Amino acid sequence: MDVDGGESSSSDSISVRSIPIHSRQSEDFLYKFKQQNIPACKPVLTPAWVIATLLLLGFFFIPIGLVTLRTSRGVVEIVDRYDADCVPEAFKGNKVSYIKDTSVPKNCTLVLKVHKHMKAPIYVYYQLDNYYQNHRRYVKSRSDQQLLHGLKYNDTSSCKPEESNNGLPIVPCGLIAWSLFNDTYKFIRGTAELRINRKNIAWKSDRNHKFGKHVYPFNFQSGTLIGGGKLDPNVPLGDQEDLIVWMRTAALPSFRKLYGRIEEDLDADDVILVHLMNNYNTYSFGGKKKLVISTSSWLGGKNDFLGVAYIFVGSSAIILALFFLLLHVKNPRPYGDTAYLSWNRKGISS
Amino acid sequence: MSGGWERVRSTRSRLSRDVSLTGRSSTSRTVRLGRVQPQAPGHRTIHCNDREANFPVRFKGNSISTTKYNFFTFLPKGLFEQFRRVANCYFLFISILSMTPISPVNPITNVAPLSLVLLVSLIKEAFEDWKRFQNDMVINNSPVEVLQDQKWETVPWKKLQVGDIIRVKQDGFFPADLLLLAGTNPDGVCYVETANLDGETNLKIRKALERTWDYLTPEKAAEFKGEVQCEQPNNSLYTFTGNLIIQKQTLPLSPNQLLLRGCSLRNTEYIVGAVIFTGQETKVMMNSMNVPSKRSTLERKLDKLILTLFGSLFFMCLIGAIASGIFINRKYHYLGLDEGAPTEFNPNNRFGVAALTLFTLITLYSTIIPISLYVSIEMIKFIQCTQFINKDLHMYHAETNTAALARTSNLNEELGQVEYIFSDKTGTLTRNLMEFFKCSIGGEVYGCGITEIERGGALRSGINVQEVHKSVSAIHEKGFNFDDSRLMRGAWRNEPDPDTCKEFFRCLAICHTVLPEGDESPEKITYQAASPDEAALVTAAKNFGFFFYRRTPTMIYVRESHVEKMGKIQDVAYEILNVLEFNSTRKRQSVVCRYPDGRLVLYCKGADTVIYERLADGNDDLKKITRGHLEQFGSAGLRTLCLAYRDLSPEIYESWNEKFIQAKSSLRDREKKLDEVAELIEKELILIGSTAIEDKLQEGVPGCIETLSRAGIKIWVLTGDKMETAINIAYACNLINNEMKQFIISSETDAIREVENRGDQVEIARFIKEEVKKELKTCLEEAQHCLNTVYGPKLALVIDGKCLMYALDPSLRVMLLNLSLNCSSVVCCRVSPLQKAQVTSLVKKGARKITLSIGDGANDVSMIQAAHIGVGISGLEGMQAVMASDFAIAQFRYLADLLLVHGRWSYLRICKVITYFFYKNLTFTLTQFWFTFHTGFSGQRFYDDWFQSLYNVIFTALPVIMVGLFDKDVSASLSKKYPQLYKEGIRNVFFKWRVVGTWACFSVYQSLIFYSFVTISSAGGKNSSGKVFGLWDVSTMAFTCVVITVNLRLLMICNSITRWHYISVGGSILAWFIFIFVYSIFRENVFFVIYVLMSTFYFYVTILLVPIVALLGDFIYQGVQRWFFPYDYQIVQEIHRHEPDDNSRAGLLEIENRLTPQEERSYAIAQLPRELSKHTGFAFDSPGYESFFAAQLGIYAPQKAWDVARRASVRSRPTTSKKN
Repeated sequence: MDVDGGESSSSDSISVRSIPIHSRQSEDFLYKFKQQNIPACKPVLTPAWVIATLLLLGFFFIPIGLVTLRTSRGVVEIVDRYDADCVPEAFKGNKVSYIKDTSVPKNCTLVLKVHKHMKAPIYVYYQLDNYYQNHRRYVKSRSDQQLLHGLKYNDTSSCKPEESNNGLPIVPCGLIAWSLFNDTYKFIRGTAELRINRKNIAWKSDRNHKFGKHVYPFNFQSGTLIGGGKLDPNVPLGDQEDLIVWMRTAALPSFRKLYGRIEEDLDADDVILVHLMNNYNTYSFGGKKKLVISTSSWLGGKNDFLGVAYIFVGSSAIILALFFLLLHVKNPRPYGDTAYLSWNRKGISS
Repeated sequence: MSGGWERVRSTRSRLSRDVSLTGRSSTSRTVRLGRVQPQAPGHRTIHCNDREANFPVRFKGNSISTTKYNFFTFLPKGLFEQFRRVANCYFLFISILSMTPISPVNPITNVAPLSLVLLVSLIKEAFEDWKRFQNDMVINNSPVEVLQDQKWETVPWKKLQVGDIIRVKQDGFFPADLLLLAGTNPDGVCYVETANLDGETNLKIRKALERTWDYLTPEKAAEFKGEVQCEQPNNSLYTFTGNLIIQKQTLPLSPNQLLLRGCSLRNTEYIVGAVIFTGQETKVMMNSMNVPSKRSTLERKLDKLILTLFGSLFFMCLIGAIASGIFINRKYHYLGLDEGAPTEFNPNNRFGVAALTLFTLITLYSTIIPISLYVSIEMIKFIQCTQFINKDLHMYHAETNTAALARTSNLNEELGQVEYIFSDKTGTLTRNLMEFFKCSIGGEVYGCGITEIERGGALRSGINVQEVHKSVSAIHEKGFNFDDSRLMRGAWRNEPDPDTCKEFFRCLAICHTVLPEGDESPEKITYQAASPDEAALVTAAKNFGFFFYRRTPTMIYVRESHVEKMGKIQDVAYEILNVLEFNSTRKRQSVVCRYPDGRLVLYCKGADTVIYERLADGNDDLKKITRGHLEQFGSAGLRTLCLAYRDLSPEIYESWNEKFIQAKSSLRDREKKLDEVAELIEKELILIGSTAIEDKLQEGVPGCIETLSRAGIKIWVLTGDKMETAINIAYACNLINNEMKQFIISSETDAIREVENRGDQVEIARFIKEEVKKELKTCLEEAQHCLNTVYGPKLALVIDGKCLMYALDPSLRVMLLNLSLNCSSVVCCRVSPLQKAQVTSLVKKGARKITLSIGDGANDVSMIQAAHIGVGISGLEGMQAVMASDFAIAQFRYLADLLLVHGRWSYLRICKVITYFFYKNLTFTLTQFWFTFHTGFSGQRFYDDWFQSLYNVIFTALPVIMVGLFDKDVSASLSKKYPQLYKEGIRNVFFKWRVVGTWACFSVYQSLIFYSFVTISSAGGKNSSGKVFGLWDVSTMAFTCVVITVNLRLLMICNSITRWHYISVGGSILAWFIFIFVYSIFRENVFFVIYVLMSTFYFYVTILLVPIVALLGDFIYQGVQRWFFPYDYQIVQEIHRHEPDDNSRAGLLEIENRLTPQEERSYAIAQLPRELSKHTGFAFDSPGYESFFAAQLGIYAPQKAWDVARRASVRSRPTTSKKN
């Protein structure tokens, strides 16, 4: 009766075994597959393996960590928070009115002291804290198509609430562009001004492919509410690197963005005056503004985390390994001891 | 609880199910159950052989359809089926949510995986339905000969119409329910095999009405113009009423003329019949029903896990939503939250913000529920069934060419958790084949075979008893498997006591109720006996040279050889004067016969207890020795009968015979009087010896049972047999031995019998209930006492059906359950199919243990359906049990493979798959969750839409399937060598909340590592030109780490890693990279991110660190766990670490032997434990001679099993109707 399932299947598997046909290998595989007999390696995580792996890990990780940490430590970085200092005494109690009052001059001077020789290129960053560039409303309020094609692209619904003004579309639209960071810095060493190169601060792919070479700002920051910086309507977006950097939204609410590059070495004990225009409003939400100048290494800027992590993990692996080794030597578990089988254990105990 | 019991009862009525020509899956019958609604008119009139006359009535055609869907209903119905799953509904809900503007993700990311999952499921459904459809087509198109224009024309079954005259040839199947008109056998008799309906292989006799016998040839049949008036189609297999009106004559029809669809014709050249019911209206199809769909316990637990996930999802969303309501503030001027801001961001309506964010977050975290989980599990299980279980050569029975068959694919892992097995006896444990195996004559044991149980016992004590070559004199035929040259070929004449031998053989040849059939030569004759024991005894006599070849009502003819002298043959006729029949109270059977020389002898055979009571005084030595032999036979699992005789003087006989005749003709209490009279003459017997019959066990049964019980599985035998037989088999199967404490609760006690004789039903019920209660109570007390002592004996419970009926009463049920759960084996005898199901669900529902029922016949169907897993024995017997089962195997012994190997592996694999799925989705979602805290709880997505949706479907999908297919902790042979490993499944070690909790902890740990390491390290300039990363760079980095880690983590859970693991893990990681390489060229937000990332050293330093740190926790955990708290399987792995993984599962237990077989055997026998028990192994099956003789004479008498089934179905009907 049961022709369908049983018979055919069994004859299948038998024929597989006995008849050598041209595709022998796949037949053999199928046979082994059906009989669940595929060759396999069977790793058994014995104490020796655990200890060895941990030791290896440690010996491998600590050098990497040391190198990484050393690289990071080699980076010279000067961070200066200026958002509070740059508010005139009169406005200390009400910083928001200061920043909103266009009649108050926003210029401010910082004094930075270089404590260690800094080799060019030296990167100038601005750092914002408590600034949610990754807020959902913020992140999606842009139009990549418009950035690339300009006014030719009409659908800017994603740019709400900054998609148009006075019935005309805004280029670049959206909250991100609208809130463009607009503090500016001028560096003076001694008497000479340090030139800040503000070209090539954005990733090349962004410059070349995400922002149009022939798209010019239009109707930008012309509304009643001004969110941030303005753009030169005569420079195409592809060359507005400030904007390009700004629009690569940051992952965390505390972030740095590249402002420019100083292409001269700074010596230790150099004093640098920074003339800055403190235009950007972070006061209303209590955000901090910092100026960072930093050299760079092959690994990037100063960030000890990776190095510390490598060293920490590596050394704890070694400590664990030694601990296990001690345990293993003092009180070894017999390997494959039948006494450990639960049914035998019960037998002993009762 | 009560609901469950009700259900058992109602499923009972589904006893008989459709069986059709091929073993197609019948999981989805569309036929309604019990559709016996009265139709007007209450009967149908069929004009035979007249299609025009039948046309106006529009009877249904003969084509059947078992498909679930048709072309038009497939999509709506199939989708509906899919959305009955909560998970799918959930994803539909998520998909709809993601179409709304509040969603942070692109709708496609949720719609695509759901569509893919639905598509795969629908394709699977379609494929299965297509197979069903093809099966239907095969059946519908099988040819049948129908009468057209005085000729037999071959048409397909589906063209058959009601009223057609058809011809069915020998071994053919009846295409519809037929009215038997004529057959080639004389007397209009034909034989049918109903194996498809009830699993019984014995032939049933159907007899045509005498009036229609002539319509055999096409010419004659064409003249047949009968009109059949009969009942409307219904589902009762055993009833049929109707009239045949032929030439104005009305003839009553009975089930005896009805040939049911699904049965086949045997021993008859061909028959001619008229079609009465067709297609879906045939009785067998009306009986078919939807198999109650079973879900595995693990899956139900999985539901709980999913619910927990829902809970945590909601909790996570709630946190985010509340926080978002608090966070939102106009002070973040760059967010443009002026008056016109939409509700979801409007700071004036914080509640609205929270509510909408809740939904946003639900879509965002929806990945916590793994959408591909169900579909992956289904796929894995499907392959496990179709490729592994169905094609396992270790479960392939070559003799019957039957492989194992998994009929449902959703119970694989349940096989790894079975704690209770309920087994039928006949056909499952035993072959229902009685063989004369040994005997004891005049204090001497003859026969040197070794039974399975002896072999098992020897094996346990470390001796391997090989089957030795049979000596030349050994004859093995059906019913006779005896090897001892001292008795064969007349050699018995040289034995010390040839006269006793002669009496022994004569007793065998004369004292029985067997009918010889066929040619009167020893080779060709067949014995028709009511019980196979009797046939075996007569066959034995034949082989000893006392060939019983003819019976007349008064005479028995025996061809005796070697009696007077060697080689001489003589025919002797014994006059049978009286037959004192066997019944369960008498436990013996006697025949009074007169030798040709006038000698009057009473031969008696029966249970040792009753025979010994009636022996003449003296000759105590012989009695003692024989008793010893009986006990020896009994403990070897053989069924014994004592033989005795008594010489009668004519006077004594005459006076007794008068009383006998008087008793026989009495009208009241005839049975009782006959018993009393028999007592008068059955005394002062002289013991001849005893026979030992082997109730042939299926191959390997004791070994299998032994293995299973070492695996912690408790085996209950539920049988319709008598108590003695059942106990005997329990002994033979090693379920009961003499060291056990046995509790026997029987209704065959004097007290109960006495009350029964009074005949007051109410009183009987009350009394038996009281007795049972009393018994249960004392047993339970004793059991508890035994359990409290340290070296207390193991316990066994034997209970018979009648007592069980009362013990299953709600008031006693708890006591019964307590008692039986404390017993290591339980035997229920004389139980009806309904009770089998009740006992099964008692344990299933009452003890909440996972149960498996195994059986081969129709009477096991209810039990098979009631248990968590039903296993049918396929092969020789009918298909009834198989059609109801979830798994079908050819032999009981394959159960060990099915459970210990396939079940255990499946359980392990599915557990791993589920926990891994849980882990990988939780880890992934948690990284997203941590990110939410840094986005002002706005619900900004961390990952790109497509990362999120392809994570489950592509980047982590395949490796886990490899685990589901290939993971093996220990090899198959070790699984069987260490059956105790199975206990891990019973205790559900691998899918406990603790396990899930551990995984969850590591998910949290890993997700924190991913999120914090990647975000912290990404701050600052990230290459030598000082450029910084944006959101998408960081998230792509994190995602890369997640994909790599999660895939590598999979390798860590594998016990065996094949090439396919490497390929799939490597492939998945590679797939991610290929995907991102291509995708980042087109996608705006993640534009070029991977190229930017890979241009930095940071990428490589991080990609090395993060996965290793994430996996380090798991690694240490695994190492410590194996080191200090090893699982059993891990120890076994270690023990056999250096052994090559050979898959030859046999041969591991064998010990090297350098003895010759002969030496070995005698040594083995000498080593056998010779403990003598009280158990002597009396057992004798006699399903009522009345019906047997009646059947021989062609009288329709329902057989016992049918009877039982019918009673059961009658009983169940009121319940179902009440429920409807």
